[in-house]
Amino acid sequence: MSKLRLRQAMPALFTAAALLMLSACGQTEYPNSTFTRITDFNTAIDSLWERLLFWGTIVFVVVEAALIFTIIKYRKRPGGPEAKQIHGNAVLEITWTAIPALILVLIAVPTVKTIFQTQAPAPAGSIRIQVIGHQWWWEFRYPDLGIVTANEVYVPIGKTASFELTTKDVLHSFWIPQMGGKRDLITNKTNYMWFTPNADLGTQAYNGFCTEYCGASHANMRIRLFAVQQDEFERWAKHQAKPAVFNPKAAAMAAAAPATPVRAASNTQGGAVAAAEPAVDTSGYMFPAEKLPAHVIPQTPFPAGLEYDDALLAGGDATRGATQGFLVGGCIGCHAIDGVPGAISQTGPNLTHVASRHTIASGLYRMDGPSLARWIKNAPHMKPGSLMWTIGRGEYDPVLKTTQKAGLDDRQIADVVAYLLALK
Amino acid sequence: MATIAQPSHATHVGASAEQTGIWSWITTVDHKRIGTLYLWTALFFFLVGGLEAVMIRTQLMRPNMGFVSADTYNQLFTMHGTTMVFLAVMPLSAAFFNYLIPLQIGARDVAFPRLNAFSYWVYLFGGIFITLPILFQVAPDGGWFGYAPLTSNQFAPGPNIDFWVIGLQILGVSSLAAAFNFITTIINMRAPGMSLMRMPMFTWMSFVVQFLLILAFPPITVALFFLLMDRFFGTTFYAIAAGADPLLWQHLFWVFGHPEVYILILPAFGLVSEVLPTFSKKPLFGYNVMVYSGIMIGFLGFGVWAHHMFAVGMGPVADSIFSLMTMLIAVPTGVKIFNWIATMWAGEVRFTVPMKFAIALIGMFTIGGISGVMHSSPPADLQQTDTYFIVAHFHYVLFGGSIMGIFAGIYFYYPKMTGRFMNDGLGNLHFWLNFIGMNLTFFPMHFSGLYGMPRRIYQYDSGQGWDLFNMMSTYGTYLLVVATAVFVWNFIRSRSTGAIAGNDPWGAATLEWSIPSPPPEYNFAQIPEVTSRYPLWDLKDPKKTAGIDHSHADAMTITDAHAVPVHEETERHTAKELGIPMPFSTAKPLFTAFGMCTMFSGLLFLRNDMFAVAMTVTLTGAAMLIGGLISWFTAPLE
Repeated sequence: MSKLRLRQAMPALFTAAALLMLSACGQTEYPNSTFTRITDFNTAIDSLWERLLFWGTIVFVVVEAALIFTIIKYRKRPGGPEAKQIHGNAVLEITWTAIPALILVLIAVPTVKTIFQTQAPAPAGSIRIQVIGHQWWWEFRYPDLGIVTANEVYVPIGKTASFELTTKDVLHSFWIPQMGGKRDLITNKTNYMWFTPNADLGTQAYNGFCTEYCGASHANMRIRLFAVQQDEFERWAKHQAKPAVFNPKAAAMAAAAPATPVRAASNTQGGAVAAAEPAVDTSGYMFPAEKLPAHVIPQTPFPAGLEYDDALLAGGDATRGATQGFLVGGCIGCHAIDGVPGAISQTGPNLTHVASRHTIASGLYRMDGPSLARWIKNAPHMKPGSLMWTIGRGEYDPVLKTTQKAGLDDRQIADVVAYLLALK
Repeated sequence: MATIAQPSHATHVGASAEQTGIWSWITTVDHKRIGTLYLWTALFFFLVGGLEAVMIRTQLMRPNMGFVSADTYNQLFTMHGTTMVFLAVMPLSAAFFNYLIPLQIGARDVAFPRLNAFSYWVYLFGGIFITLPILFQVAPDGGWFGYAPLTSNQFAPGPNIDFWVIGLQILGVSSLAAAFNFITTIINMRAPGMSLMRMPMFTWMSFVVQFLLILAFPPITVALFFLLMDRFFGTTFYAIAAGADPLLWQHLFWVFGHPEVYILILPAFGLVSEVLPTFSKKPLFGYNVMVYSGIMIGFLGFGVWAHHMFAVGMGPVADSIFSLMTMLIAVPTGVKIFNWIATMWAGEVRFTVPMKFAIALIGMFTIGGISGVMHSSPPADLQQTDTYFIVAHFHYVLFGGSIMGIFAGIYFYYPKMTGRFMNDGLGNLHFWLNFIGMNLTFFPMHFSGLYGMPRRIYQYDSGQGWDLFNMMSTYGTYLLVVATAVFVWNFIRSRSTGAIAGNDPWGAATLEWSIPSPPPEYNFAQIPEVTSRYPLWDLKDPKKTAGIDHSHADAMTITDAHAVPVHEETERHTAKELGIPMPFSTAKPLFTAFGMCTMFSGLLFLRNDMFAVAMTVTLTGAAMLIGGLISWFTAPLE
């Protein structure tokens, strides 16, 4: 009898559990929810989902209710009726073949419609964005706007963003849950997807993820997407297309003139120095740091066993970082900086406007001095498997399994950090 | 070869008496002993896979947890999947195939007893081969699906993937050999009068599964062979620099991978189809439709593989076709669910432990089926694939379905296998802990997935909306650990302390319950003559089956002069006393299996350019394999 009570209590318990979960939905934030209708793509998906959920719920309730009703009603009881020896019923069996089939038709028709609707070619006038997967970071190119950037992608609201997805190495998958479904990056193949953020969306920041297992740091291959107003996007794009704002040669000349501290150069003093101006502050745009929602700010703790004295960062010299550290450290071997002669390699992320991003290491750490310094000192220690090798002198490289004998000391790293932070 | 089902007119008498000791297990060719070996081994690997799951869940319990490294985590989830699919659930089903099929069809053994032993030893060696590396942190780390090109030398230069590709190739041999064996057995060795449509439902589902195995394993064998050639001999099937299309692997893998899902679930469906009628005191509702829907599921299972690939960009036409095919497969599956419920309808439902697991299968598999239909719709699937929603889905299918069904089978057949019941109180405790633990582990994953949590990530930031769900899942897993400990304790302890079970402890209907528990080595002293689907009910409770037309002897003539009507065998003899020829015990299958695994493992040395060692090991293994086979083929069976 007590067993029976438990049995009867199960549906109630289940309902309670489900309600608990649903109520949790209302209270807490779900910043990566797939149940949004903020793009045309995800609106199509979500309306299909609601249909699936509706019929799924009905089937669930009917089947589980039938099951529970049956086992309770026909449980063996002392003096209860004997089992009726029915062994089949053609009408019943045809019925419960036909009804699910009908429900499936109700799902299949809008499914096929949505497939063709969402996989149609992107509308004319879309913004083309090439997404190139790398172990373990994202390269974004806007071929019509002359922009090459990494890990953080800007799209204007009200306008279709059309993605062309390829990969340089293994498979990856590009997914920003709030914007719509994912699409794989397949080697030797180009995939396409597009979505249009609603025109009334406002300026917002979203998370994205790699969703095809791609090796050691698959978990650390994250994306930030900034949906911004049209004019903000234009300002961002115009600035991103420019060469690096910090030009070491010009900065050095400016430094030679005693009155002009390098990093504070803000007044126009003539043609030679103009290149060193951080014009970014007035004409460029980046998603304002103070408006970043908590869920897009990386929280990865620094791993144990990697020491760096953050006090050194104050003494970092951007010019020295640009003219010495960037070369001695070997950075130039993998990283391009537009406007720096020789810095043209496309192996690693393009650093032309690296400081205009909010994160480093594909969304794993914040864009700030302490993170950058540790990253430069020992990237594979900061991010498992990282193909950027250990630069810190005397540091052990867990990927190459060697100790870095050359490389940079902590002061030189501070210089490079200062340089990178100047690349707004 | 296949003469052992012939009854006592044979002239010479086998030497095998009831034997004990390690050697008798090493040399056994008895399908029951091999089934027992499969059961113990598979349960061991089930615990290994479970331990891996516990470590995975501990790492994911909180954001940025740092319990294991990324590298270890990747090995753990790869091995959890590989272990559970190939080393736990498939062999647990194989344990039942081995033990039950001959008993259910009234035969004295399988068609090829030595091949049967060979299958087991290959499985054991393959399982060890693929599992041992995790102790040395070089376990496979490319996922159980091993997508190209991540498994190529370029991206996986270590030995990790070598163990995986060679290990799976070895395990494939085991599955194929067993499948041919069971097909031959079921077709040729049924007792007189047992037409196909009188076979017990477990045997029917097993029959379908064997065809799935022989049709699904060739594609994965080809895929693995390409990979093996790429890794060791420099071919370029998956080499992206040579222009390879990585989707080749995905298509080959899923042409295997999707039927594999049905290979994992259909035996469990078969087991609950034995349990439900027994404890409802009613015949299975719609036997014919159950058979046809099983065949239909198996058939359609080969036409839906690309629904694992909706995100790869196949184009709208292919997406639509595979979507519709996938939806179609829900129909025969739904029919099974309804027929099971109808089986219990108007019955006398007894809530024994196996019955509880069987009922739980219906309830839990339904949830997995519904979420399955949800991602049969490609646009919706694009939001779901490679998220925890999928993890929730297939664990409801595989844990809520396969594992529940297998537990139902274990509790149901334990008395037959050991002669004793498992403890009822512990069984109930196991059931409820397992049921609650399973739902606590996997139900929240629906939410974490739809709220954006990708699969196969070893760490995540807090504030993503996933913290609560992950915490719940991890505690659920810990509950499952307790449940499994209770089960293991019960399983081991009941062998010596369980209440004695007679021939037919549950009042079941099929032939295996007509003989003593545990069955004697020869199974049936006299081969029974079968006249219905429920021979034991006809015998013991004719009133019950009186109204069922197929329970009467029909036009099928019984030609075997030695067969006798179905009866309860209560006496226990040796085969020798009865003059029943039994196959000789032999270690040759083991030797041959060991030779084959040695041959394959020689490849490992190529990784370090130890060409001479590789050749030596491979040739030694090949010599053992060939020598073993010759010696095996020239020795008489019995």
